[in-house]
Amino acid sequence: MPLTDHLTDAQLNEYLDNETVERALLEAHLSSCEECVGRLTALKMFFTEIESLPEVELTSPIVLHIPSASQLPRWLTLTATLQVAFALLTVILAAPFISSLVPAIETPSLTDVFLQLRSQWRIWLDILSTFRLPTLPQIPALEIPSLMVMLVLAVVSIVWLVGNGLLLRRQFK
Amino acid sequence: MTAPTDRDLIQRAMRGGKDAFGELVLRHGTSVFNVCYRILNERGEAEDLAQETFLRAYDRLHTFDLEREFGPWVRRVAANLCFNFLESRKINVPFDAERDADPSQMPETQTEVRERSEQIRGALASLPPHYRLVIELRHYQELSYDEIAAELEIPLSDVKSNLFRARKLLAEKLHALD
Repeated sequence: MPLTDHLTDAQLNEYLDNETVERALLEAHLSSCEECVGRLTALKMFFTEIESLPEVELTSPIVLHIPSASQLPRWLTLTATLQVAFALLTVILAAPFISSLVPAIETPSLTDVFLQLRSQWRIWLDILSTFRLPTLPQIPALEIPSLMVMLVLAVVSIVWLVGNGLLLRRQFK
Repeated sequence: MTAPTDRDLIQRAMRGGKDAFGELVLRHGTSVFNVCYRILNERGEAEDLAQETFLRAYDRLHTFDLEREFGPWVRRVAANLCFNFLESRKINVPFDAERDADPSQMPETQTEVRERSEQIRGALASLPPHYRLVIELRHYQELSYDEIAAELEIPLSDVKSNLFRARKLLAEKLHALD
């Protein structure tokens, strides 16, 4: 059924934008209404006029200063730093357990310097192995076998490396 | 040898090829600048925002869908950036034909076409930022109502009403200049 009232401005806008769902109805009305055709033509001219705005040339080409890939974002630097700190802490806490395995390793005594270093190393490990936090003795986890600790350390290291790899992958592409 | 397509250049840029991205900037620099210029109506700011647009685009390149066209995508980034810039500033730059005229390109007697273009730019610049944005996306970037709604994350009804009011206001301002 054709529309008897004149088309609204909104209808004309949507018609010209090809966004109306009542296209056939509007066209039926336009075929018999000179006033609406006149308004539609004026609107179309207005559209054409604003779309005919010429492009303006750049006075100079755009020059980009893209930051180097080595300049990592702050969040990434912070994450990597935290990971390193966490890994170091893990190694320090696990050192007493590792010390029980160290004596089994034959250290080649090539020079006195190396012997001295080994001696100092053992002293330091002894100190660490006797070090106890106030609450640590009550933690059953301290009785975990050394092999288990080594496994946990290995897993933590792998997770750390993979995590870093994923984080930095894009930066080094 | 044929020139590489935008897609080739984007793939190279994604692998860290800054030269490839530089080529994209050369190809699309003028169109991006014109988006900014239509919305801001100030050459210096438009050039700054065009540059900022490409920096943003470079940062977000890993999110770019290679099935899409780079030109329309980067022009939409530019439109949004200019809109946010205007919103953050919250002042409308008054139109000043003398300020924006480029003396090197201005003949002594301006043509009517050029005058009218300046009038349209001035009228566009006097619209509120969200009206400028819908005019830009619809008339210059030829987005559908649905695409504009998705781009601006607003309801379809708002797109229609904003566009309708923006055009009405723009037409009134242009008629007032006639």
